[in-house]
Formats: sequence, C-alpha cells, structure tokens
Amino acid sequence: MKTFKLLFLVCFITFNMPIVAQTADEIINTYFENTGGVENWAALNGVKMNASVNQGVDIPVEIYQLKDGRQAVIVNFQGQEITQFAFDGETMWGTNFMTMQAEKSDSEMTENFKKQSLDFPSALFNYKDKGYTVELMENETIDGAETFKIKLTQKPIMVDGKELPNISYHYFDTDSFALIQSEAEIQQGPMTGQKSISKMSDYQEVDGLYFPFDMGMGGQSIKIISIDLNPEVEDNVFAFPEE
Amino acid sequence: MKNILLGIAILLIFPVSMAQEIPIKGDQLFGNLKARHIGPAVMSGRITDIDLHPTKDNIIYAGAAGGGVWKSTDSGTFFNSIFDEHAQSIGCVAVDPVDPDNIVWVGTGETWVRNSVSVGDGIYKTTDGGTNWKKMGFENSERISGIKINPNNNQEIYVGVLGALWSDSEERGVYKTTDGGETWNKILYINETTGVADIAMDPTNPNILYASMWQVRRSPWSFNSGGEHSALYKTTDGGKNWNKIHNGFPNGKLGRIALAIAPSQPETVYVVLETEEAKSNGLYRSDDGGNSWEHLNNNFELVVRPFYFSRITVDPKNPDVLVKAGLYGAISRDGGKTFKNLGNMHPDIHDIAFHINNSEIMYVGTDGGVYRSWNGGSTLEIVENIPVSQYYHVSVDDAEPYNVYGGLQDNGSWYGPSAAPGGVKAKHWNSVGYGDGFRVLKHPTKNIIYSEMQGAANVWRYDVDRNQTKTIQPMAEKGDPKLRFNWNPPMALSNFYPDRFYMGSQFLHRSDDMGDTWTKISPDLTTNDPKKQDQSSSGGLSIDNSGAETHTTIFTIAESPLDENIIWVGTDDGNVQITQDGGKTWTNTVANIPDLPKNTWCYKIYASNFHKGTAYAVFEGHATGDMNPYAYKTSDFGKTWKSIITDDIIGFARSIHEDYENENLLFLGTEFGLFVTVDGGQNWSRFTNNMPAASVMYIALHKKTSDLVLATHGRGIIIIDDISPLREITPEILDKEVHFFSSKPFVMKEDSGFAENFGTETQFIGQNPSSNARIVYYLNKRHTFGKMELEVQDMEGNKIATLNAGKSKGLNIVDWSFTSKGPKIAEAKTLSFGGFATPRVPAGTYNVVMIKGKETFTHTIEVVYDPNTIVTPQGREERQKMVEILFDMNEELAYQVYKVNTTIQHAETLLAEDPKSKKVSEAVINELNTLLKSMVITTGDNYVASAEPELREKLADLYSGVVNNYDKPTGAQMANYESVKALYDEIMDRYESIQKKEVSKYESYLSKNNKESLSFQTKEEFLK
Repeated sequence: MKTFKLLFLVCFITFNMPIVAQTADEIINTYFENTGGVENWAALNGVKMNASVNQGVDIPVEIYQLKDGRQAVIVNFQGQEITQFAFDGETMWGTNFMTMQAEKSDSEMTENFKKQSLDFPSALFNYKDKGYTVELMENETIDGAETFKIKLTQKPIMVDGKELPNISYHYFDTDSFALIQSEAEIQQGPMTGQKSISKMSDYQEVDGLYFPFDMGMGGQSIKIISIDLNPEVEDNVFAFPEE
Repeated sequence: MKNILLGIAILLIFPVSMAQEIPIKGDQLFGNLKARHIGPAVMSGRITDIDLHPTKDNIIYAGAAGGGVWKSTDSGTFFNSIFDEHAQSIGCVAVDPVDPDNIVWVGTGETWVRNSVSVGDGIYKTTDGGTNWKKMGFENSERISGIKINPNNNQEIYVGVLGALWSDSEERGVYKTTDGGETWNKILYINETTGVADIAMDPTNPNILYASMWQVRRSPWSFNSGGEHSALYKTTDGGKNWNKIHNGFPNGKLGRIALAIAPSQPETVYVVLETEEAKSNGLYRSDDGGNSWEHLNNNFELVVRPFYFSRITVDPKNPDVLVKAGLYGAISRDGGKTFKNLGNMHPDIHDIAFHINNSEIMYVGTDGGVYRSWNGGSTLEIVENIPVSQYYHVSVDDAEPYNVYGGLQDNGSWYGPSAAPGGVKAKHWNSVGYGDGFRVLKHPTKNIIYSEMQGAANVWRYDVDRNQTKTIQPMAEKGDPKLRFNWNPPMALSNFYPDRFYMGSQFLHRSDDMGDTWTKISPDLTTNDPKKQDQSSSGGLSIDNSGAETHTTIFTIAESPLDENIIWVGTDDGNVQITQDGGKTWTNTVANIPDLPKNTWCYKIYASNFHKGTAYAVFEGHATGDMNPYAYKTSDFGKTWKSIITDDIIGFARSIHEDYENENLLFLGTEFGLFVTVDGGQNWSRFTNNMPAASVMYIALHKKTSDLVLATHGRGIIIIDDISPLREITPEILDKEVHFFSSKPFVMKEDSGFAENFGTETQFIGQNPSSNARIVYYLNKRHTFGKMELEVQDMEGNKIATLNAGKSKGLNIVDWSFTSKGPKIAEAKTLSFGGFATPRVPAGTYNVVMIKGKETFTHTIEVVYDPNTIVTPQGREERQKMVEILFDMNEELAYQVYKVNTTIQHAETLLAEDPKSKKVSEAVINELNTLLKSMVITTGDNYVASAEPELREKLADLYSGVVNNYDKPTGAQMANYESVKALYDEIMDRYESIQKKEVSKYESYLSKNNKESLSFQTKEEFLK
C-alpha cells in the first residue's frame, strides 16, 4: 500500500476542473480521470482488498472483485472462514452462520446480482454501455461539503416477485470531484423507501489508482488495509462448494 | 456480528458497486449532530388525505396535517416519511394515473381549517415515487384542496386552490396546466375570499369537472364559513366555461360543499351542503350529472362541522355505497338514503379510501392516524408506525432518563421517557389528560403532574403515585367578569416555590398551594376589546362555538429565573406586560417594540437566565395573514426592544429558548423548523439533520443533559442530544483545522436491564440516545484524502480502542463505548461467542488521538463510574483483576493453540514429503491432535449441533460472564475459575510434556535431516 501523496491533491485541484456548469458525464469522467484515468480503470481486471471491521475486536475481511463479475467477501475469524457472500458468475452463495455450511442465495437475489456483474470497477464506469442512465440533480451538502448529486438508474431488479427500479445516488465533492457518498433505496422490509448510505473517505493511491480506504455505513467503518490490483484468485473462492 | 456482516454485504453490493461574522452556516456548521425522533405514534395524529396507487394495491400515500407525506408499499403495514424537507401541512396527495409508479403530486396546506391549522407553500411533484420533490408553483396558495390529472394525458392537470384562510388572496380558484405543471392558468376564480373546497373529475370524460367554491375566513377570534359566493360549478369543456348547478339546492347562502362522483356511474354525483337552515343541510344526490339534485339526508354525521369533515368517498365499484367523513364517519349502502356509523376508531374522520380491487378493505384518515378495515368499515385497526403527533407544548423533568411531557391536538396529554430499554415504545407513554392537550408540567419536587384541556375547561393535578386527580382550574369569583381562557391556556411553574403555579385567563392567577386556591395578581392584561369577544355567533352558517376562538387572553407567562417578582405576560391580542413587584403593578411595553404590527399575537416570552432586565418575545400574526417572523430582545425590562430576526429565518416564529450557559446561543422554532444562532441572533442556521420542516411549537432545554427537546406540531417530540458544543462555537474555532470540544466527565452507566420487543414489530419505536462517551470535534473541511484515524489511548500512549472517525465538515460526534479491545481467541471449528466480550476500561483520563495525514491532534477526556449503581469500588477492583487474568489466559491459550496448529501442519507437511519421518511426525500429529481436542472444539456447529465445550469455550464463557457483570465475580464464577484454571494448567502441562518429548524428538529429526525447522511468531506478533 502506498501512502497518500500531496501530488495527488495537487492533481485534484489543478486538473480537470471546468468552472462552468457541469454535466453528469463531465463529473463522472473527471472522477475517473482524477482517480487514475479512465484507461487505467478500464485495464484493471480485479482487486483484492484486505480490510478490517472494528467491533471491539478487529474482524479481518477479504473482498474480491473481478472484472468478469465474480465477487466474494470472506471473513476470517477465530479460525473460521465465513464467506459472507460469493458469486461465480452464475451462483450466489454464502456461509450459513449457524451450520457453517455453504447455502445458495435465493434466485431473485442471484439474478439481481447477475445484472450488476458488469459493474466493475463501478456501476458508473461506462454506464452507457451497460444501458444505464444518469441524471444530474441539484447540488446537495453532504458531510458539510458541497456536492454534485448524480442519479444512476440501472436495470430493474426483482424484489418479492415484483420488478422495481434500481436507482442510486452518488455525491461528488464539487471541489475535488471525489465520490464521497452513495445511497441506494432500501427495497424491502419496514425500511422500504429509506436510504442505505455508504460514505467514502481516506482516498489513497495504489499503483496509480485511487481508492477510498475507509467506507462507512451507519457509523461503522470498513477500513481497507491493503489492495492488490489484478490479483490471482483461485476459482474455488467464488464457486459454490459442492458436497 | 451478524449485523456487521450484513452491513458489509450491503456496502459491497453497492459501492463497487459576533460582532464577527460566523463564516459557515447550516449543514456545514452542524456536521453530523443529528436529531432523534421519539414519537410517540401511539396516538398518531391528524391525517388529512389518502390516495392510492391505481393499479398496485399495496401502495398507499397518506398526507398529514402537520407531518408531511407518508408512503406504504405493503398495504399499510409500514409507512415511511417521504416529504421531510418541505412544508409538512398537507392538503392533498394525487398519484398520476398515467405514470403512477413515479409521478405523485402533493398540494401543501391542510384544508380542514380548524383554529390550529398550519400553512402550505405550494404544490410539489415527484417523478421518482417520492424520493425527490420539486416545487411546481402556488407559493402563496397557503392551501391546496385538490389535484385532478387527466387519465389520458398527464400533462393536463387541474388544481383546486382553497387559498389564504386568514386574509384576502387572489391566488385561489381552479387552475389548469397543459404542460405538466410548468405553467398554470387560472380558469375559475370568484373573488379574494372564496376558494376551492373540493374538485372532482369525471373518470370517463376528463373534460367534465365539478368544483365547489367556498367563502371562508378565519380571524384570531372568529370563524366564518359560508356566504353568497359559495357555490357548486361544473364544466364540460375542460374548464373553458363553468356553470352553477344548484337546481334542487335551497336558496340563500351556502357554506362548505363536499363533492364526489360515483366512479362506476359518473352521472351520479353526491354533495353535502352547509346551508342557512339545519333542515336543508346534508346530503344531496344527482343522477343526471348535476342538472338536478335531491336532498336525501341530514343526519348528524352528514352535517357535523362542515369545515372539518366535508369529504365523501364513493365505492369505486358501487354507486350506492358511499362514506361520509365526520365525527365517527358513516357509511350508506342504499345510495345515501340511510347511514350507519363506521366502526370504533379514533374520532374525527377526514378521508376514506376504498381498496382498488376489494371494497371491503378501506383506509381511513383520522385525527388519530390511519386505520384499516378488512370488513367494509365495521371493525378497524390502527397503523402503529406513523408518528405525526401534534404537540402544542413540551416540558421535561429531572428523572434519569428524563421524561417528556406535553399535550396534543385532539389527543390528550401525555408523558413518556426520553429513553427506554430497546427504544421508546408505545407502552412507555402515559396518558395524563383528556380532550385536546396543551401544556403539561411536572411539579418540581413531588410526583405530581399538572395538565389541562382546551380553554381550561379542566386543569388537572394528577398525583401519579396514588393515581388520583383533582381539577383545579381558576374560576370566576364574585365580581369577576367571565374568565377568558385561551384554547391553549397558559400555565407556568415558579422557579422559587415548588408549590407555586400560575395560570392566565385575561388575568394572571397565582396559586401557592398547587391550585387549591388562586389569587388574581393582575388586572385584565389584555386589550379587552369587546369586538373580539363574541364567539357565540362564530362559525358562519354552522355555529361553531367550541371555545377555539376565545380571544383577548393571556397566552404566555414567564417568571424570571433570577427574581420571583419579575413576571412577564404576553397576550394573544398583542400586549407584553411586565411586573417587577410580584403583580402589584404592571407595565405594558408593547408600544416600545419597533416594526411590530399592532395586536400581533405574543406567542412566547422567555425571561433570560442571565440578566433580570433581559427577555425575548416572539410574536406571530399568521391568524391575520401576516406570515412574517417576529422575535425581539429587551435588556431593560421592555423599555427598548431590538429585533433578532434575519433573512435566514423561514416561516413565522412561535417559540424561543435561551441557552443556560451562553447567552448568545438561542433556539427559535418556526412554522418550518428549528433555527439556531450562536451570536445572539446576528446569524441564524436552520437545523436540518434528521429534522423535518415541521412546526416547532415549543422548545425545552434539559438542564442536566443539555438536550434540546422540541414539541413539533406534526412530528411528535424531536430531541437533539447534548447541544453543549454549540456553546463554544466562535469564529476563532471555526477557523481552526481541528477543534475538540470540551466535555464533562463521561459516566459509564452500568444499566443492564432487559429490552423486550414482543408485539412491537409494526410499532414505531423511538430512538434512544447514545450512552457512550460522546467525543465531539470540529473539522474545517470534510476529510476525503489520505489517512485519518481516531483512537483512544491511555495516558502512557498505549492504544485502547479504535474509533470510527467522523469526517464531516462542521461538528463530528463519535461514540466510544468505554471498552478496550477484546482478547484474541484461539482458532477452532466453531465460534466462541464469549470471545466477543470487550472489557470496560477503568475510570480515569484517556487521550483521544486523531491522526490526520501527518498531523496528530490530542484531546483528553475523563470517564467516571456510574454514581447510581449497586457496584462497590472493591467489587469493581476484584472484577477488574479477574478480567485481566482471564483476558490473558484467553490470549495465552490462543497463542498455544496457534503453536499446536502450526506444529501439526508442519508435521503433516513433512510426513507427506518425507515418509521416513513417519515415526516422529506421526507421534507429534497424534499427541497434539489429542491435546487440541481438549483445548478447543473441533467438531459441530454454531447452533444446536454444537459440540461439548472445551477449554477455550469454558475460558471464554467465564471471561465474558465476568466482563458482562460490573460487580465482583460471583462465588460460582470464582469456583468455576478454579476448575477452569485446573484444566488450563493440566493442558498446559500436557503440552509442555509433549513439547519435551514428541516435539523435541521431531525437532531433532528436522535438524539432523536439514529440514526446515519449526518456527513461530512471537506472542507479541501473534497478538498484533
């Protein structure tokens, strides 16, 4: 892991800062340019993040995301390897906490996940090619910072047998164009219609690309310890373990 | 643990997916200082309008009188607020028939125009089902009664504007847009006193519309419904021409007209008329599209209070089934000839909606929330999670946690805790008064509560312990005129004598015996203007003398906290009176107040905590059509007054509170939310963090906790916990990169009771405050780039805990649960839940250290033990000792298990590649595996198939048992410790002997054969 460089900040401030009113495309493009360049993001084949969640005790978490859509989040704790979820392109599954056995996710969730399998490194990346649309909304103050608010509409998802729009909001700091918050609408349960909010901060450079090293949700941080770019990952990390 | 894992999943699925100017304001200042809502929802509040999705039967929208718009996507099991940022008084909600998933219109400004009704500020549209809203005009409409959208062309919309209630206005009548709301044309206008009460569109022919026009006016002292301009109109050409359709109506003036078309037979139209004579009031039916009318019914429910209940809903499938809103609501199944009341629910029914497919199912909006019926209105159940309670007032006591007291529109008086195990639930709220509730005050020293109902018809003194009440309101004595009590009658406690209690009619009454006897300590302090005192004819066509319009009364009483003889009184007709001799002489100071329109209602006087001559007065003239905010400060007993209002303030103001420690910190409640100044009123910031744009009717500040407690008229009680950091804000601090705010020593509460949730699945549950250490700092910029860590260290610099740092510009509030890191637990086949216990730190001082980029900022805090505890210092010491012993044993075991596992793995690898090693490697593998089975669980699962506990589990369970008690370990725990310790020692001895024997031989083999030797991390490395 490389440490954050002052140069990075200078780049943010001096490059790609059109003063006139922004379009959603300009904002998204500037974000990817400022965080390493569109081409470099396009060339990235995957990441493995070593992270930690502090719950009184530090819980180590490994996060895998590959360009082909395969993903996994694995928690290692007290000698137990718990796959929070994994997706091999077809099957989504996770470890049942009670039995410690792998169980497949319901088909609806899997299908919804499959629809997002082209979302590496971000749903916003090449969003047009994926058939998504964006809309620039009115600026909002997030964490005290003035932000551009972009609405992203992805392909509809199915929730409890009903097709629902898949809409999320992304907030970019107007000074630096850094993405500092994303929100998705909660689609089921008593909180339906409210937002699940993710906050991004502590951007740091990894081989030319900049990642948020702190992702917060409901006051709980996921701290990234290190990121491996283009990692070699065994297939069995993602594959549902057959009995 | 589970929540965290879930959180990770969600996260992952998604993101890869003063004299000086205060330089920042609003969100940039308040950072993540957030309000919390405690409801209650047990009595919910007034629902004004309900609209349903036309094709998806599980989607319901409900508009509230002062609580915004709520949406359900599960047929009404849960509702969520979707309109927090805008005016909370809702006239109507309309779902677009063409694009119902996305487009919804909201007309703000309630049209059930009771005395306490709030105001709207236009019409709003969402194009994404309620996530984002855009104002589409009618800024000065005040109240919107109906929105009708052409089902064939959703660009064509008609809006009925009732308009201003308390003043003339030309922004009223029927408007039409043909471009989706970009531009509007007024297509039916009568005059500046007459607006649209109801509008209906023929579902089969959108060019046919009916509009009922209502001449109406309120003043602070009267209400007038009806006049020669009230009328029913119809257009058949999309609004180009309108005709009065009164064939069959009585002659003379009309009042409010309710209107409904039978959707299944649009030629059938029902109206309810308010007329000059009781016998001609009530329901009329037309079966020829309004050409002629037949009077069918004037039962009570049909004619009751037209201004409040003029709503008819016709079953969408049957033209002869209709429901009339009313005191109880009534349903007819014979086309309006006869009615029977709806089943038992909260009275005052304002709207009814039939399910789109099954008319047995009905949704009803009442003064007490949304109800559902599954059997055609015969029985009903309440929706338990819409906290739109309309408080008039709030006060707090000094209990821990403190209680919150207040009265509500049509929902009595209540008190409930500011915090409760598992959250503040419906069951925690206690009723302490009937009728409309207003001010509720706890006796300063006795467990006695004063409460009241409208017009002081009853003032109760409630002995809580004995469950006994006594009515104690002041009454007219010989020679007195009729006492005039406001609808919302003022009461106040003394700061000096616990049994002293004040009430205001036109006189100020003082009791020194908790209301048993009263003394008038003033003359009539009002203008005593007889023109404003005849309410017997108030109401217009329907007399409505409920007492709601009683005027020329005292409205606010403020005894100086610095001098018992200084008492301020404000009246609803605009007087500001002060006595400095305990009531012997009074001076009216209102003439000294600059730029205040005459007779503007004095809503609140606040006597300063700092100087005897200082007070704040808040006025509001909305009931005469003046929507401006007025707040003034005097520093010389009212000789001079200075306005403290700036352009930052939105909405007319009703309440103010001065801080107890910083006289420049003030809180102002307006019709559209809360405003805060840290510089004595030179700059104001609107507080919006989890704070809706609700009317803040009253503000209390809890002395001990510094919690700001808001009585909102539509969103219940909202609390901002501990506002003390605001006391310290100065321009100098805001200039710094990082500033830590001072804090009192944090108390480590030792509460450990039970929080049960039985039967609360569908209830609103009020949020609890944090009981953690609350570390507050200011950042001058949002932290986005580079590392930022926040940790707690002991005074020697050892890390105790990692905190989740707040990174907002402005105030950041970070919780620390007083715990240090938990022990590292040995690896095994299952999880040891005991290992999740994290030990509390001892009382003392600690450093909070922020590492931000290359800079480090340090702030020292103090934590102390709970003074209200059963735990003794010795007990705590013994516990601490034991915690440390067990913590270390757990980690030592973890390390030894690591070594055992490493050795086994090493031997297995060797065995595989070097069969010659079989003798030594197998001996190691077998011996250590046998040992391991006694050290940790090696089979089973985390639930009911779990294996018998081994040393690790016994040790971790004992450890967590000791950690989770605050007191000294029990005798059983100590005895158990001896047993576990014996096992521990035995296992460690066995390991040592295996190491000496089998492992030693194995190592010799490795050495002799030049194999890679056994190596381990040091314990320090392992534990890192």
